[in-house]
Amino acid sequence: MTLNEFNIKNILQAIGGWRLAAGNWLLATGFFLLVLSSCSEKVSPTDVLKEKPSLFPDYVGVTIPATIAPLNFKVKAEYTAIDAVIKGRNNQVIHLQDAKEICIPVSKWTKMLSGSKGDSLQITVSIKQHDKWKQYAPFAMYVSTTPIDYGLVYRLIAPGYEVYSKMGIYQRNLSNFDQSPIVENTLIPGSCVNCHSFRQSNTKDMSFHIRGKKGGTALISNGKMNLLNTKTDKTMSNFVYPFWHPSGNYIAYSVNNTHQVFHEAAGKRVEVGDAASDVVVYDIKNNQAISCNLLMQDSIFETFPSFSADGRTLYFCRAAHKKMPAEFNEVRYNLCSISFNPDNGTFGDRIDTLFNAVALQKSVTFPRPSPDGKYIMFTLIDYGNFSIWHKEADLYLLDLKTKSTRRIDEVNSDDTESYHSWSSNSRWFVFSSRRMDGLYTRPFIAYLDENGKAGKPFLLPQKDTEYYDRLLFSFNIPEFVNEKVDVNIPELEKLLESPLKKVTFKQ
Amino acid sequence: MKIFSIDKLLSLVFGLMVFAFFAFLYPFHLNYQEQYQLFLFSPDYFFQFVAKPGGFSDFTGNFFTQFFFYSWVGAIIIAILFTLLQRTIWFISQQLGAKPLFMPITFIPSLLYWGLLCDENYLLGGVVVMLLTAASIGAYTLLKGNRVRIFFVLLLIPLLYWLVGGAFLLLPLFVIIREIMKREIKIIHLILFTLGCVALSFALPVLSKTYLLQYPMRQAWIGVNFFRFPVIIPVSIGLIGLLIVFIPIILHFLTVHIKKNRKILIFVVQLVVLLSGGYLFIRQVADMEKEEVMAYDFNVRMRKWDHVIALADRKTPTSPLSVTCLNLALAKEGLLADRMFYYYQNGIGGLIPDFTRDFTIPMMVGEVYYHLGFINTAQRYAFEAMEALPDYQKSVRAVKRLAETNLINGNYTVAAKYLHLLQKTFYYRVWATKALITMKDENLIAQHPEWGWLRQCRTKDDFLFSEGEKDMMLGVLFRQNSENRMAYEYLMAYTLLIKDLKHFVQYFPLGRTLHYKAIPNSYQEALMYIWEKTNTDPSKEILYPINPLTKQRIKAFERISPHQIDPDPKLFDAFTNTYWYYLQFRK
Repeated sequence: MTLNEFNIKNILQAIGGWRLAAGNWLLATGFFLLVLSSCSEKVSPTDVLKEKPSLFPDYVGVTIPATIAPLNFKVKAEYTAIDAVIKGRNNQVIHLQDAKEICIPVSKWTKMLSGSKGDSLQITVSIKQHDKWKQYAPFAMYVSTTPIDYGLVYRLIAPGYEVYSKMGIYQRNLSNFDQSPIVENTLIPGSCVNCHSFRQSNTKDMSFHIRGKKGGTALISNGKMNLLNTKTDKTMSNFVYPFWHPSGNYIAYSVNNTHQVFHEAAGKRVEVGDAASDVVVYDIKNNQAISCNLLMQDSIFETFPSFSADGRTLYFCRAAHKKMPAEFNEVRYNLCSISFNPDNGTFGDRIDTLFNAVALQKSVTFPRPSPDGKYIMFTLIDYGNFSIWHKEADLYLLDLKTKSTRRIDEVNSDDTESYHSWSSNSRWFVFSSRRMDGLYTRPFIAYLDENGKAGKPFLLPQKDTEYYDRLLFSFNIPEFVNEKVDVNIPELEKLLESPLKKVTFKQ
Repeated sequence: MKIFSIDKLLSLVFGLMVFAFFAFLYPFHLNYQEQYQLFLFSPDYFFQFVAKPGGFSDFTGNFFTQFFFYSWVGAIIIAILFTLLQRTIWFISQQLGAKPLFMPITFIPSLLYWGLLCDENYLLGGVVVMLLTAASIGAYTLLKGNRVRIFFVLLLIPLLYWLVGGAFLLLPLFVIIREIMKREIKIIHLILFTLGCVALSFALPVLSKTYLLQYPMRQAWIGVNFFRFPVIIPVSIGLIGLLIVFIPIILHFLTVHIKKNRKILIFVVQLVVLLSGGYLFIRQVADMEKEEVMAYDFNVRMRKWDHVIALADRKTPTSPLSVTCLNLALAKEGLLADRMFYYYQNGIGGLIPDFTRDFTIPMMVGEVYYHLGFINTAQRYAFEAMEALPDYQKSVRAVKRLAETNLINGNYTVAAKYLHLLQKTFYYRVWATKALITMKDENLIAQHPEWGWLRQCRTKDDFLFSEGEKDMMLGVLFRQNSENRMAYEYLMAYTLLIKDLKHFVQYFPLGRTLHYKAIPNSYQEALMYIWEKTNTDPSKEILYPINPLTKQRIKAFERISPHQIDPDPKLFDAFTNTYWYYLQFRK
């Protein structure tokens, strides 16, 4: 540059040129890095193992629906690179390599699953350790032809004691990783939202509670929302544990006088029990809670009601009254039933015991009949009714035809298995388990074949494998839904500011 | 020296004063702030904040607050932020033609915010809001072209709303006033611009409330957690915000010609008013009693037991929480049984206070349970304290305690979860990494001076926590490990504090497993008192080896005490440090 050229314009041009050149260089470098990073290193294993890899989450040999989101995973070992070759039907192949984990692109995965229904995916995993590749024996994921519902609804809440912070009821699209809030307690500071329930996965019929200074039971029936004051003169509390009648005309609820106590020894934390409880059925059309003497006995704890698939039987848990909390570990519930006439809202005059847990020194919680009427799935614990805090809690299946009951060993673990819910076609069930760390509850999904045998359950997949480690919330009450839930929040806020619709009682 | 040449010097002096206050007079408030958040260097943490209006300011405030672990670093940060705020307001004022003479007025917003930060529930994010808003206004004042200014503001409003929340309103407010003053824009354009600003200002909170936030409408307007309790609307913050807008405008009008010899006088008067007013204001709002409690708590948290006792030796604590901390420190130093009545005691409330659903008391009381060996209860208290935080944050102190309790209880996967979180923090990552290493080896845990010991102390036989039966719980704990001296001394202290001498005598022999060289002072005094009240035979001597001086002193005490319902303190000067005095006169 000569002295004449040394003017502002030239300088700016020079700077502009340099920036352009630098920009191009950066672009080229970026592109080169992108190409480099997208190129997989060729895997030439020096070690081919006979055993299958130990994965997190454990997806080896699981049965999955064809519309599930990618099952991303990592190997439980130290490595510098991981390689996975996923083969589907018709020679479809997805080959992925990463330093940390295998994250499968949603579109490729969806296409592969769709083309592999009724077949299995074969996955070969290799890891690089000390600059050498080690290849594990291939494993399969079985792609079921049986569809699963659109998504899951669950509450995210910290597994705490008495005080709660932020929580909410959320929905998750099962075919991808989209999670969105349905209602969060930030809407009404200091409140608690809980006990969401649907009529057999149908989102047009939903209820949930908002507890706090402003609150009530939100009832969405046929898409119309109401906010109820469910405390009546004849019932001890607001409505608590819900279950929709298949007709959509009733919801069975327990009413409970619940207390918490806290353990001092390691291994146990919280004990939740009822000092009293009854069962009522809420008649939606008449805005009336109905019950009978057999469901409201002072000498008996009645709780966790649920309707049979045909709506003509009410199942519930029933225990002899004990002094609480002194005798908390002597309370044991049987699985019982009483007939119910949905035409006029009346109950039978006899209680039947379907599963005598007391005789086994055990206790039943969460009886959940399958929508096809074949089974009741329930949780069995040593005592009490709050199974999430019981390590011994396992899932059981009662065959309503043969009346036989079995522990579902295919899905149980050494830790807690507690809440569970059926898909609308009764061939999938989701359950909450604390098997991962003993505290934070996670949702697992399992397949149930036509003979009542369950497949190996799989953890609800997430975008990355560290998601659950980071998350300080438990997944509470996972429920299948057949479509996206749409709760009108402005309408709910308006209802919260208005007087609640008072429920009446009839015995 | 010309007046305007000293503006930077004044800012520097102001910054130094802020620093000195927070570093030397108010340091424990900063430590207190730091423990009630969990700033993580992770994308998740960042996006969780920036997903809502004002979240960026909350995030930035939390980023700075994490450095409050060392209060002097926190003091530097606050000093810089307040000085920057003042300098920005001064810059805006200068852009509007303010005279250097009135520069001291620009200190007022920073001074007022300084006062707000004396309340431990005002969060630093609010200062970031003020700074970003002032900076936006400052940037606007730099722009010359009418169109450029208008488009800049219209574009900046949504961005500023997202960065600072409702404080974005200050920008259009300033701009509209300024443009009216400037009269450079046609009146019709100004009206349109004003209408645009108003429409935007209403639309943004409403839209974000409708489509993005499940918060009350007021939260969509305010955005930032200025205050730890989001339900409280921070009016004082709003006033400070308005000062940021109006001080430059007022200074713009203070342009009357003033004689040179009066300038210095006016300047000095302003400084004097500012200094004296500021002094009185800060003195009024600074809560030194809380600072004292926080000092006790911080030293307990840091396990600086000798510092706690030194604090008490300087000034006897009287609040239940300070006394709780002192008793814990005495116990940890092996002095509880000897010296607890040397200090003011306020019953069980100063030994193991009852649970309350807030974030302060359970955090402090949890320390007592932890060091006693009630690991589950310590865990519960830490969890509850964290969940009770009204601004939905997590607490780094609680997470650390949860990692410890889970580790001691052998819940290694849960402990690792918390430790992994702590590895993403600035100050705790080294500790967390060491803990993760320790956790992999049972021998290392057993050898750990605290975790190993507490693992031996925790109860093996299960029982249910009972707030009203703490003595029973202490008894069970001590029975399971008869070397747990702290459990024994807390049990005895419990009986002494509730004046239950029957159980004191019953439990006293349990302490023989601890092999005291001599019976501790407070026990001697209690035993002597019981002996004096129950012994009817003057020829008999108490069976326990009691210090002769104690025997003499109780005689002297008994001579003056029986008729004293409302004791004359002077009369009892020699006995206020005895259990007898507590027994007789403390309610």
